[in-house]
Amino acid sequence: MSFVRLTASDLTKAPSGRDARRRRSDQLMRSVMFATAAAAVIPLIGLITFIAIHGVPFLSSQFILNSPLDKEPGISNAIIGSLQLTIASIIVAAPVGIAGGVYLNEFASPRVSSAGELLIDVMLGTPSILAGLFAFLVVVPALGFSGYAAIVALSVLMIPVVMRTTQEVIRLVPAGVREASLALGIPVWKTTLFVTCRTAASGLLTGIVLAISRGLGETAPLLLTAKGTNDTEILNFGSTMNAMPIVIYRYAYAADKLHIGQAWATALVLLVIALVLNVAVRFRTINSRVA
Amino acid sequence: MSVTNGNRFGFGSGVRADSLFRILFGSAVVVAGLLLLGVILSMVASSMPVWDIQTPLSFVFGDRWAGEVTQPDGSIAGNYGAFPVIWGTAVSSLIAILIAAPVGILAAVYLVEFAPRKLAAPLTFLVELMAAIPSVVIGLWAAGDLSIRLRDSVEWWVASTLGRVFPWLSEDPNAPASQSVFRAGMVLAIMIIPMVVAVSREVIRSVPQSLREGFIGMGATRWETIRHVVLPAARVGLTGAVLLALGRAIGETIAVTMVIGNAEGIPSSLFLPGQTIASKIASNYGEAGSPTQVGALAALGICLFALTFLLSLAIRLIVRRSMRQSGRAR
Repeated sequence: MSFVRLTASDLTKAPSGRDARRRRSDQLMRSVMFATAAAAVIPLIGLITFIAIHGVPFLSSQFILNSPLDKEPGISNAIIGSLQLTIASIIVAAPVGIAGGVYLNEFASPRVSSAGELLIDVMLGTPSILAGLFAFLVVVPALGFSGYAAIVALSVLMIPVVMRTTQEVIRLVPAGVREASLALGIPVWKTTLFVTCRTAASGLLTGIVLAISRGLGETAPLLLTAKGTNDTEILNFGSTMNAMPIVIYRYAYAADKLHIGQAWATALVLLVIALVLNVAVRFRTINSRVA
Repeated sequence: MSVTNGNRFGFGSGVRADSLFRILFGSAVVVAGLLLLGVILSMVASSMPVWDIQTPLSFVFGDRWAGEVTQPDGSIAGNYGAFPVIWGTAVSSLIAILIAAPVGILAAVYLVEFAPRKLAAPLTFLVELMAAIPSVVIGLWAAGDLSIRLRDSVEWWVASTLGRVFPWLSEDPNAPASQSVFRAGMVLAIMIIPMVVAVSREVIRSVPQSLREGFIGMGATRWETIRHVVLPAARVGLTGAVLLALGRAIGETIAVTMVIGNAEGIPSSLFLPGQTIASKIASNYGEAGSPTQVGALAALGICLFALTFLLSLAIRLIVRRSMRQSGRAR
C-alpha cells in the first residue's frame, strides 16, 4: 500500500476523466430530481390559478345565499346539504371509528388486532364508488335516493379514516400514563376514556377533521345516493339532497355560461374549504398519512 | 376494603363496567367489519340475476356491453362484456403509474436527501397538498384546462411522430378527440403523485443513515450513494408506495369520468375516448332499471373490489416481508 500525499490544490482542482464524469452525472441527477420535485408542484399551481380565475367572477353573496330556484340562482341548498350530510355522517362514523381504533390498540389480542389492521387497510383501499354502490344497492331500493343512503355511503368511507388515525395516535400515548392511572385504582374504562383518550384528544380530532374533509369532497358516492336536487332540504334526510360536489359535476357540462361559471365558483368554494381543513390538520402535531 | 370506600374509586363495580366497556368498544370493530361484509355481499347478491343469463367468464372476457338480448326462441341471454372497461382501468392506471412512480420517487429522494431544510418543508407541503383537493375539482380543472393543453402539446407531438409508426398512438390531426384514455391516465398520475411522494419519503427516511455515511466515506458521490445504497435498501417499501398509489388510480371515479369520454368498446388508440370500471358504474347507474342491469353494475363492482382487495393483500405481504428483513438487518 502506498500513500499519496494530498495537498490543498489536489482537493480543489477540477477532477479529470472518470471522476469528472461521476461528478457530472451527480450534478445532472441532482437537477433532474429537483426538476421532478418542482414539476410535482406545477399541477397544484395551475389548478388553483385556473379555478380562481374562472370562479371568482361568479362569486357573490347571492351565489352563496340564494337557492337554485331563486331569480338570481345560487347554491345555498348545496352548501346546506353538504354540511348536513357531512355532519350526520361524522356523527355516525366518529364514535365507531374512535371506539374501534381504541379497542384494537388497547384491548384486542394480537391476532384480532392484526385482523383489524387488515380490515382498515381493505376499507381504506376500497374505492369510494363502491361505498356508493353499496348504499345504492341496499338503501336506495328501500328508501329511494335519499340523504340516508348518502350517510350510509359516507360513513363507510369515514370510519376507516377515523379508526386508522385513532390507532396511530393512541399508540403514541406513553404506557406510563395509563399505568399511573391504573395504579391509582382507577378502572380500565375510566382510564381509557379520561386518561388515554384525553391525552390523545387532539390526535383524535385530527382524524375527525380528515374524515370530514374526505366526506365534503366525495362525489361519486353522493351521485349514487343523494342524487342532487334544486330544493332546499333541511334535516329531511328521507328525500334527495344536494351537495357541492354534485353541483360541480352536474353544472360542469351545462349548456349555459351561468351554470358552467357556477360550477367553477362552487369548485373554488370547495377548494378553499379543503385547503383550510388540510392546513389546519398539518399544523397540528400529529401528521397522519391516512388522507 | 372497609377502610376506604371502594365505590368512590370504582372498585367492586369496576370489573363489570370494564367488561361491558370492552364489549361496547369491540362492537365498533364488528360494525366496521359488517359494513365491509355488507359492501361485498350486497354486490354479490345483486349480481345474481346476471349469472342466470351468462357466465362470469363471458362477463369478464366479453368484449361488448350490449345488455340483455332476446334470442330467437324467446329466451333472454345476457351480453354484458366487461373486458373493455377492465382494459380501460388497466391502461389508464398503467399510464398513471409509469409517470407517477419515477416522478414521485425522484421527488421524494430530492426532498429527503438534497433539499435544504428551508425548501424541503414548504415543497413537501405543496406536493402533498394536491392529495387534499377533492377529485371533482381536479376533474373540473382537467376537463376545462389540462385536457386541452395535453391534447395540443404531448398528444399532438406523440401522434405526429410515434403515431405514424404505432397505430395505437395515432389520432386524426384534423379532429383530435375531445377526451381520451391517455388524458385520463395523466390526470390520475397527477392525483397519485402526492401519495407516491408521501409514502416514499417515509421509506427513504427510514434507510439507516450509517449506510449512506459508509458509502460516502468510501468516496462515492451523493447520486451513487442513492443509486447503489438508498434505493436498493428502500426497494421493498417503494414498491409498496407504488402499489398503494396504483390502488388509488384503479378506484378513482369522478375525475376520470370527466376526462375519459365514456365511450363503449376498446379504443384503437390511446388518444381516443374509453371507459373504466369505475366511470362505467358512475355513468350508467342512472339508467339501470331492470335487475339484470343493476346486477351487471354490481358485477362490475365485484371486479373493482377484487382488484383493490388483491392489491391491499399484496401491500400487506410486502410490508410484512420488509419488516422481517429490517428486523434481521438490525
